[in-house]
Amino acid sequence: MMTLPRRTLLGSAAGLIAAPALAQPKWPNRPVQMLCPWAAGGGTDAVARILAVLLEKDLGQPFNVVNRTGGSGVVGHTAIAQAAADGYTIGTITSEICMLHWQGLTELTYRNYTPLGLMNSDAPGIQVNASAPYQDVKSLADAIKASAPGKLKASGTGQGGIWHLALAGWLNAMGLKADHVRWVPTNGAAPAMQDLVAGGLDFTTCSVPEARAMLDAGRARSLAVMAPARIGAFPNIPTLKEAMGVDYAVGAIRVVAAPAGLPADLVAAIAPALKRAYDTKEYQDFMNSRGFGLVYGDAAGAEKALAAADLSLGNAMKAAGLAKA
Amino acid sequence: MQLSDRVTGAVLIALGGAAAIFGARLPAVPGQDVGPAAFPMLIGGGLALCGGLIAFGIGHSFEVPEEGDDPAPPGSLHLGPLHLGRLRPLIPTALLFFYVLAVERLGFLPTAAVVVLLAAIALGARLRLAIPLAIIAPLCVHLAFYKLLRVPLPAGILPAPW
Amino acid sequence: MHDLLEAFRLVAAPDVLVAILASAIYGLVVGSLPGLSATMATALLVPVTFWLSPIAAIATIITASAMAIFSGDIPGCLLRIPGTPASAAYTDEAYAMTRKGQAEMALGAGLWFSAIGGIVGTLSLVLMAPLLAEMALSFSTYEYFWLAFLGLMCATLVARSSPIKAIASMLLGLLISCIGMENPAGTPRFTFGLTDLLGGIEPIPALVGVFAVSEVMRAMVTAEPPKLPKRKFGSILANQWMLTKKYQWPMWRGNIIGIIIGVLPGAGADMAAWVSYAMSKRFSKEPEKFGTGHPEGLVEAGASNNASLASGWVPSLLFGIPGDTITAIAIGVLYMKGLNPGPTLFTERASSMYALYIIFIIANIIMIPLGIMMIRAASVILRAPRAGVMPVIILLCAVGSYATGNNLFAVVLVGLFGMLGFVMEKNGYPVAALVLGIVMGSMVEQSFITSLIKSDGDVMPFFERPVSAVLAALTFSALLWPVGVWIWNRIRHPRLPAGGATG
Repeated sequence: MMTLPRRTLLGSAAGLIAAPALAQPKWPNRPVQMLCPWAAGGGTDAVARILAVLLEKDLGQPFNVVNRTGGSGVVGHTAIAQAAADGYTIGTITSEICMLHWQGLTELTYRNYTPLGLMNSDAPGIQVNASAPYQDVKSLADAIKASAPGKLKASGTGQGGIWHLALAGWLNAMGLKADHVRWVPTNGAAPAMQDLVAGGLDFTTCSVPEARAMLDAGRARSLAVMAPARIGAFPNIPTLKEAMGVDYAVGAIRVVAAPAGLPADLVAAIAPALKRAYDTKEYQDFMNSRGFGLVYGDAAGAEKALAAADLSLGNAMKAAGLAKA
Repeated sequence: MQLSDRVTGAVLIALGGAAAIFGARLPAVPGQDVGPAAFPMLIGGGLALCGGLIAFGIGHSFEVPEEGDDPAPPGSLHLGPLHLGRLRPLIPTALLFFYVLAVERLGFLPTAAVVVLLAAIALGARLRLAIPLAIIAPLCVHLAFYKLLRVPLPAGILPAPW
Repeated sequence: MHDLLEAFRLVAAPDVLVAILASAIYGLVVGSLPGLSATMATALLVPVTFWLSPIAAIATIITASAMAIFSGDIPGCLLRIPGTPASAAYTDEAYAMTRKGQAEMALGAGLWFSAIGGIVGTLSLVLMAPLLAEMALSFSTYEYFWLAFLGLMCATLVARSSPIKAIASMLLGLLISCIGMENPAGTPRFTFGLTDLLGGIEPIPALVGVFAVSEVMRAMVTAEPPKLPKRKFGSILANQWMLTKKYQWPMWRGNIIGIIIGVLPGAGADMAAWVSYAMSKRFSKEPEKFGTGHPEGLVEAGASNNASLASGWVPSLLFGIPGDTITAIAIGVLYMKGLNPGPTLFTERASSMYALYIIFIIANIIMIPLGIMMIRAASVILRAPRAGVMPVIILLCAVGSYATGNNLFAVVLVGLFGMLGFVMEKNGYPVAALVLGIVMGSMVEQSFITSLIKSDGDVMPFFERPVSAVLAALTFSALLWPVGVWIWNRIRHPRLPAGGATG
């Protein structure tokens, strides 16, 4: 008998606390944590930080970017998936979430998240040294087909990284084996571009913004992008389809997401806020100035993009022998 | 913790050998001739070799004895209530592990206060110093890291006043 | 000339001057907190730069990073907690000076020669940027391999112990750097199924553990050292002038080495400090004093460290290749503000370039008065009782390492590395060499493995390319030199009675 009043008491106390929240259904009414699975200073971090600034300005609550690094992104992605689905912990998930599980490095897939908005997608380009004989991507493709397997060397990121898979996918689309061109793993795109210019590589398949400074300096040339359409910031670079008729496109995507099971009313509150942030002049200017690809998708569109990436990256990894089982 | 060169050398031989053996078992990478095994095997082999040289006392004559680091003569050390004998050097690590286990549940301020208090007492501080320190230091650290640098220190049972 | 005047006008804008001053103080404070690196100080500034004018935005990054690098030496010197891997090279030396009661002299040397290095480095940026950039671009992985190898050899030089134990410590560091999947093969190694180990061991928790926590452990078993007599310290700058005159040659050598190493992307300040400290000992007239609190190494390494920081901007500005994590962030800000890196920045936006140079010089000049104030304030710690300081160090170790990735696993690592460092030191294994191995490990493996992949397993390209041939020759002569000297001495002087310790 004692428990009943106590429970009602607790219940009413909880009701009292919850009451202002109910009376004010507006999200957010306290600071929101934005997890970033990559280190401060990188591209994902930069996008997360400008989004945080814009959301804070729009919604009047602090958005704190927290870099949860470690485990090649596994730690941060896990932290987002395991957070409470209350709209106060969101995060940026990247293409790696569609790759790590194929390698058996985590159980998590994009289905462990509620996608809220696709904020950016960067397509890989095909870059060669400025003094290389290839003037267009067709001549490079012919040279690749004519070469002995493993003779030509390409790079752009580490073994099994997204740009490695882009190469594998492209070679597959041309009817070649994924390891026909030997991949030289590097610590990101910058050292790969440096080695390309130093004469150590035949071509790179990193994203165009990552190659941009070397292109501007006239040290390297971008022959094509593996995207469905030309990139706004680089209108002179043709797509693969235009240049050689191979319909292959891939991209590194950044999606703002919440843990799985986020209530629909919160999705309805957060997703439009992301759209507003995407549409601001600040965001557009920032992304264009960095050369980052401006591609937007709402909650459903982000989910579709993740599903497509999961499928195509999974296929590329299987073809390259990188997937487990 | 002063061990003979034979012991540390043997540990290095074992460690280097294990690294080389487990390194050699790493699977090759498809499409690459040089896999993940090469570097650990090289390093492990080198480490085992160094361990062997050390165990046989080669190169010992170059060593300069460490100065100013003799164990405290009995009585000169303010041990405070935490004696623990030979385990004393483990206190800092134990406190760090306690921090890891407790901080999410208790929150930063209480956990930090316990860590500072115990460390101060272990170093022989009087309570007149240890208690104010255990209250003020966590608050200052919290202010600097949480407020200024936005490091998400957990609030736990005792949220900070800011 | 017109561009230069325009540049002065740009820098003299009130918002730029305020930005420089505010970010200078910010950089000094953040850098002096253990565990918080200059990289983090810079990254936290990026959202602020959204609202600043282009020149003010770049000014905050330049000033804050230069200040944070210097003030990272403060906890290293006073508490033996190196703020950055770069200051780890000379932390023991600076701390030894503190124990001799010369903390102000050690910190003053860090400050003064940092500022000189920064200014000389900037001048190299002004005068030789295109030349240096050409050099940097001729470096392929083969050259980086030799460079990394030379860097590792410094382990035996910086240590005051048996060279074999130094090499063993360094190899242990390399083995630790094998942990995780950040290796050329992208394969998880030695992770024991732990997700936290997939990303490998970060240098900061390892540094904080082997230096700071092991120092607290020593405090647990040693008696409190006698209080330093309270005395009035002379002018910090007067001492430095004396050092400048005495060690002029090492200072210049440090500047030059710093500039050369800094220009190479991926090498940077860490390696510059190590190589310079080792060179300083190698060529010193009194190498036996190194490690006992002798300022000569500090002069050379301090200058080198900051010279490399400035010259590290060369590849960033000309080709958008980040020299280190700080310039990586800075490149992002440059793009955001429409100052796109590339040769055109030097021609079409010359006034902005000059403004950048001027900010470098200003930052290095105001570093001196602000740094002196910081040193005077920080050295209060030396008069506090040990039982009051050490507990706070433990707390800072925990929070500082947590802040690097907001991951509690880093705190566990700090505790484990503390024990490792303590045991190693007790048995004559130099911990600085371990740190060198951890810091350099990924570069060594990366350059070695990718070179082999590129050459299809052939070792000839390691010797064929002109620059790699020179570096290889340097490496082998440095390797064989001590052996030659040793044999020569053996022939000349028949074996001296061996030290009793060998038994």
